[in-house]
Amino acid sequence: MRRKKGSEKHSDRAIIVEHLHKNFEVTEKEKGLVGSIASIIKPEKKIVKALTDVSFSIEQGELVGFIGPNGAGKTTTIKVLSGLLYPTSGFVQVIAHNPWNRSPEYLKRISVVFGQKNQLWWDLPAIDTFELNKQIYEIPNYEYEESLNELVELLEVRKLLNTQVRKLSLGQRMRMEFVASLLHRPKVLFLDEPTIGLDVVAQQKVRDFIYEYNKKYSATIILTSHNMDDVINLCKRVIVIDKGGIIFDGSIAGLVNNFARTKTITLFFSRPADLKKLEEIGELKKLDFPKAVLSVPREASAVAAAEILQNFPIADLTIEEEGIENIIRRVFRGELKSNNE
Amino acid sequence: MNKYVKLFKVSMAQEFAYRASFVLWRVRNIFQIFLIFFLWDSVFANPDKVVFGYNRDQILTYVFGLFIVRAIVLSSRAIEISGEVARGDISNLLIKPVNYFSYWLTRDLSSKTLNLGFAFFEVFILFLILKPPFFIQTNIFSIFGFLVSLSLAVLIFFVLLLISGSIPFWYPEAAWGVNFLFISIFVEFLSGAIFPIDILPNIFQEILALTPFPYLVFFPLKVYLGQIYGLELVRGILVSAVWLVLLWVLMKNVWGRGLKVYQSHGR
Repeated sequence: MRRKKGSEKHSDRAIIVEHLHKNFEVTEKEKGLVGSIASIIKPEKKIVKALTDVSFSIEQGELVGFIGPNGAGKTTTIKVLSGLLYPTSGFVQVIAHNPWNRSPEYLKRISVVFGQKNQLWWDLPAIDTFELNKQIYEIPNYEYEESLNELVELLEVRKLLNTQVRKLSLGQRMRMEFVASLLHRPKVLFLDEPTIGLDVVAQQKVRDFIYEYNKKYSATIILTSHNMDDVINLCKRVIVIDKGGIIFDGSIAGLVNNFARTKTITLFFSRPADLKKLEEIGELKKLDFPKAVLSVPREASAVAAAEILQNFPIADLTIEEEGIENIIRRVFRGELKSNNE
Repeated sequence: MNKYVKLFKVSMAQEFAYRASFVLWRVRNIFQIFLIFFLWDSVFANPDKVVFGYNRDQILTYVFGLFIVRAIVLSSRAIEISGEVARGDISNLLIKPVNYFSYWLTRDLSSKTLNLGFAFFEVFILFLILKPPFFIQTNIFSIFGFLVSLSLAVLIFFVLLLISGSIPFWYPEAAWGVNFLFISIFVEFLSGAIFPIDILPNIFQEILALTPFPYLVFFPLKVYLGQIYGLELVRGILVSAVWLVLLWVLMKNVWGRGLKVYQSHGR
């Protein structure tokens, strides 16, 4: 098989985003009745820059986590990629389609799951939504049966198929959402906070499912989440967005390398010593004689360790990187600054 | 095509899930008819009296005909569009390979079918209670003209709702107000759904005849009653057809712009 060189260049990239900008025009409202009336008469328009110069690309079959504080632009990015929002400027391509055109061929190959709202018909059993989606996505009978059986088994919802959606619990409904969104076996999947509001058991079920789906169909998946376990367990690669721009794009290990500011020194004393001096060397996190845990600046860790060994009776000492949990917690709070800055 | 057949059924099932509220809505319609019926009945207490060119039998026939035409033209699901846009629920539809005009038209027709079924049943009962003079049209041209003008009315109302439904793209808070102003004031009053248009002074009638509103209820009903025919019928159908095209173009334009500024709130 021969192919043109040009088309081969981007053939393995499922998603390409270059210099994407998205501005929103919002009407400013003063508080109270007077303010509301004033805004009708003379609306104060303001431009909000939701995304500024966002560029990245994702390969076929990758599972990428979008993380960042609230309002950073994660959901906006997903909405642009799924064709809901019109980009202010920039280039966006998903599986060789311009999402904004919302061509049926494109929409049949993607799916979006929003944790906050649902597509299920509220007053009918979920099976009705599934059958409607079968028609909407023009899924052949045998494929529909196969998909439905598989999804229903994996997500353990077979018994609930004929229950009115409004009577399902949040976790049950969320799993039904997944069934409805995946019946057509999308090649690209956008998941916006898929585990929000779920209990720990339901979270785990959804997480296992996402992992399986990604592997089995080598589907490209973008996931936003405020759930640490989602990020650590599912995503090999993370893209950190803050204030509408990307501040990190790489592996979880890379995230640690890039953002860890401290190292943790754990030590065991061989006999009692003057522990006050210890606080001069670093931040004392925990003291439970004979064990002590100390946090020191990353670049000063070697010096600190040497100092400790010199001045204290030490039986054992280990140095560790700052935990990934800690760093991701800082990501969610919007406290990350790249080390290069 | 299958997708719209399935949607038709699912939409009807969903509507029927709210049995209580559906029945109440129908009861409201019956009371409305009672109200209008007795109002005119008392105005025309003397059967020989002629007011605004109507005698008792004619006006009661008009009121009774209203019942069916209302059920066909003014019952609608597309009225929910403005709320869907304001709440951002329309996102669900936009990410599916389905045409949203066809989607809402299907739901509309599904709702109308359900309402019409009930309306026939109710008409039968009201007929027994009120014993109104009811006019059965037998002229094939009038029936044909009625069906054509009725189809145009359904489509015009649908497109009008799509246009008013797009306003929340720019003003999300306006969703409820727009519908109220639009449906309760403009449509109900100017379409002939409360009183026949031809009781108004001539000048108003002529102005109204150039707007799309009288073609929603008044015109089809008068065609059915055989009071509009021939050249007047053809002219009315042409005017409403032109309106349908104009409004369709406007609607396409407004939606194209609206989707570009759409902020997909709440998701």
